Amino acid sequence: MMAWLRRQIDGFRGSGASAATVPPMDGALRPNTALESARIVARLAGVDCLAASDGMVWASSGHEVSRIDPATGAVVLVLRFDRPVTCIAANGETLAVGQDDGSVTLMFGDGKRVIAPFAGGCLTALAFQGSGLVACTGSAEHPVGAWQRDLMQGGASGSVWEIPPEGAARQLAGGLAWPCGVALSGGQVVVAEAWRHRLVTLDGRAVLADLPGYPGRLAPAGDGWWLSVFAPRNQLTEFVLREPEFRARMLRDLRPEHWVCPTLHPARSFLEPLQGGAIRTHGIVKPWAPTRSYGLLVRLDAGFQPLASYHSRADGRFHGVTAALQIGAEVLVAAKGGDALLALGGVA
Amino acid sequence: MTSDLYARWRYRLVPDHLVGELLAKPWIDSAIPFLILLVSVAVFGALVPNLLGIGNLGELSRTAAEYLLIGIGLSIVVMAGGIDLSIGSVFALANLAMLALGGVVGLPLWLAALCVLAIGGGIGLINGVLVGYLRLRAFLTTLVMLIVIRAVVDTLLLDYSRAITNTEIAGPVWDFLAFGDVFGASPGFLIAVALAIAAHFALTRLRPGWHILAVGGSRRAAHNAGIDVRRTICLTYVVSGILASGAGILYAARLASLGNDTGVGLEITLLTAVVLGGTSLGGGRGSIFKTFLGVVIVVIVTNSLLRLGLRSGASSLVLGLILLAAVAIDVRWLKNRAKMLARAYVSPTYFALPPLVDAAPGADTPYAMNGALAVAEPIGLGEVDGPEDVILDEDGNLYCGSRDGDILRFFAPDFKRREVYVHIGGQTLGLAFDREGSLVTCVGGMGLYKVTREREVVKLSDETNRSLLSIVDDSRMRLADDLDIAPDGRVFFSEATIRYEMHDWIVDALEGRGNGRIICYDPKTGLSRTVISGLQFPNGICMVPDGESLLFAETWGCRITRYWYGGKRRGQREVVIADLPGYPDNINRASDGSFWCGIIGMRSPAFDMAQQMPGFRRRMVARVARDEWLYPNMNTGGVIKFDLAGQVTASLWDVGGERHPQVTSMREHRGYLYLGGIFNNRIGRYRVPGADAGWTAAKSYWGPATPDGNAP
Repeated sequence: MMAWLRRQIDGFRGSGASAATVPPMDGALRPNTALESARIVARLAGVDCLAASDGMVWASSGHEVSRIDPATGAVVLVLRFDRPVTCIAANGETLAVGQDDGSVTLMFGDGKRVIAPFAGGCLTALAFQGSGLVACTGSAEHPVGAWQRDLMQGGASGSVWEIPPEGAARQLAGGLAWPCGVALSGGQVVVAEAWRHRLVTLDGRAVLADLPGYPGRLAPAGDGWWLSVFAPRNQLTEFVLREPEFRARMLRDLRPEHWVCPTLHPARSFLEPLQGGAIRTHGIVKPWAPTRSYGLLVRLDAGFQPLASYHSRADGRFHGVTAALQIGAEVLVAAKGGDALLALGGVA
Repeated sequence: MTSDLYARWRYRLVPDHLVGELLAKPWIDSAIPFLILLVSVAVFGALVPNLLGIGNLGELSRTAAEYLLIGIGLSIVVMAGGIDLSIGSVFALANLAMLALGGVVGLPLWLAALCVLAIGGGIGLINGVLVGYLRLRAFLTTLVMLIVIRAVVDTLLLDYSRAITNTEIAGPVWDFLAFGDVFGASPGFLIAVALAIAAHFALTRLRPGWHILAVGGSRRAAHNAGIDVRRTICLTYVVSGILASGAGILYAARLASLGNDTGVGLEITLLTAVVLGGTSLGGGRGSIFKTFLGVVIVVIVTNSLLRLGLRSGASSLVLGLILLAAVAIDVRWLKNRAKMLARAYVSPTYFALPPLVDAAPGADTPYAMNGALAVAEPIGLGEVDGPEDVILDEDGNLYCGSRDGDILRFFAPDFKRREVYVHIGGQTLGLAFDREGSLVTCVGGMGLYKVTREREVVKLSDETNRSLLSIVDDSRMRLADDLDIAPDGRVFFSEATIRYEMHDWIVDALEGRGNGRIICYDPKTGLSRTVISGLQFPNGICMVPDGESLLFAETWGCRITRYWYGGKRRGQREVVIADLPGYPDNINRASDGSFWCGIIGMRSPAFDMAQQMPGFRRRMVARVARDEWLYPNMNTGGVIKFDLAGQVTASLWDVGGERHPQVTSMREHRGYLYLGGIFNNRIGRYRVPGADAGWTAAKSYWGPATPDGNAP
């Protein structure tokens, strides 16, 4: 009764659960232009996921997996699949490629093994655990490409799976709101639960919560982690998420690129929604303008607390950071929204 | 859709916007006390028999007269930021002095009354000097004065009470004052009401009254504005003292009795009345009418409690509680009024636009986006701030408005040199040359102005007829936007919205209501009349060369309409283009006989959908920070060319939005198009392929010869 009353009051006043507020980017998350001024390694349309094995760097984009030379920026197309590649992972000699039908292809020196699709097939992240794998599926209802629809429908059907070297996949956890990043830390599995803006262990304990964006893939960084935040939270989006009627009508009547929801890339069309603060004034868009896309890479310590962050702000180009990969003193950053592979130096 | 049908009728029938407009009125502060008055009349009217009977009303009016007199004085003090607690004692002293001077000493009544008023004024002066000039704390000073005067009264009572009670003041005037009856009210009450009206007049219409409110609002600001703060404060206490003693005279006439408890606790009673009325204890806000309401409430409450047989202690308790409640309401109201207004003022309504016409690059419509304007060369880059409209004179000099209230002039032929042509003081939004070569301009927030060739600024009009049922004062012009001049000299200009000020113009988009109008200024009579009202952000206006009709653009309505102001079809309207894919702004003539129209932004599917969901927009305004609101997309715009049949023959865009993300105005002049933008920091110059290189607007409007008779 009290809870119901609370909800009614909140709904009327716009307080509590109805408050469309977003945590500020402050402390270790204070904005800078580090991503904007980072070295551009290569231009690669739709670059999405990164992995390294045996000194080779792999990048997935669209249907393809390419080999990258971080020093020269040379891109060599190595593999082309029939279906879009949604994530890759590597371990010594093995490269695991997840595809949007939910199958995982393991490629090693002289052969390959295909793991049949499981759990709806919305593979968002893979990580090697010994010679087995841990996999995240974002949703049981939507494919990876429909992540915006899953967010707007309040999806919470994602799951985490363990794929042993032999035998069938086993579910470790379910009911997650779009898990799309996984870190194996001291025998513990931590996943990035995007729609709830947090990193959680599989028993549901949040190790980092209230992020100002949607967390994505996690990658090791020395003794800590790199966290790719692929889209920012935005007051208007938060508000729309609390407006069921508007949302339902928007999903029904409008094309996804015209929705009021987060995106990976800066505005491309005059048909996209615009917020007041983002009106171009005196020829420029303010860096702090409200935005539906953003570039953000966060460095976490071993306890998953933010240490530093690297930004491409509202007026920037390299939005939609989907993956990072540390190689020596450099970290490679895949900015999917900017179609670019970047390198940040001096991070060892 | 049924939900749309419901929304359409719900928002057509219920005028939500009135709530915000009411809240924005200054007199809304009186709403709460008025409500309390109604409640107390209802409650006590039911509890106390014959509370509002004729006989009792007369009795009430006698008490009310005294309270009102003191209340006027106290509220003047409070409005100036002070407080006067000595009123109860002054009241008692005046009662005593009146009976003594009029009875024992035997002075004539008028002289006795004058003396008493002088005594009250003198005490007020002491208060005023201490508080105003010596800057003592008003609360402590007047508290001490309360005690001192009370002691004086007690001492005098000991010595003279017998002598005073033994003599009686007689005379027809005194009796009339005491027991007279004018239309059911006591003479004292009429005096008090007359004084209240005078005080209201002084406070709202006269300089000393303004000074009092200014001092109460902010001492420092009042001082900086040149007001003698100390004298103003001192005077308020003098007024308060005089009025308190005046009330004492009325009391003396009514009861002719002395008592130890005369006027005891009066300061609390009156303070309750003043604060209950809505006059803020912090100073600067309040009115005599509010005090009147408060006094009436307090009189009704005290009288009712008395007649209900409550002991006097209980009565004070109730009054004290009311005072507490009133102070609490005062504080909360002041704190939250602006917030409430901010939430309630924006009042969206249902609005559905026609289906969106495709304007994407490569689309099979005349609106297909291109990058033509991306090559426009900049003029005054970084030197202009928001040139909403631009215009050229017959010598080719370029004029533009700016956000800082100037009209700038760039000199032909290369537009490298510039000067401030004239400073007007508001953002100039529309420009047009009249037959004499004067520059007529619409200034946001100010109205219609003219700049003569001698650079003299002349106000043409800043008010129009007020409509009968409008709560907002729509006789004032808030946002005169664009104009054009008919061959007979009449100026037709648009006022984009009557609900928002210049700096808030874009918020009007969220309402989707017809808040704008077109006004006609007639130079023969010097008067302005509203010609069409209820338009959705009427913006550009352009005369059709037929001399009897004009074109106007409704920005949020995405349409262009033709209106006949003369001729056979006088008064008729005809939509020329009903479904623009963007938001139209200014309209101007093109050299080939058609018209240019600036497009300030593009429709976006999400915003179009939100326009059909008023509840969504209302909640958005209340819950989302202003900069985060969903707006029309103003980062892409351009220029279209159309004819009177509604055929769009060309469109020029800056699809990347780098140079001209929004175009609010364009003028063709000798083969070039000059572009303005309200958010831009440049004017663009674009060569129109195939345009008549000799064509100028001046010739098109006023014939081949210039006003000087020279060939152009």
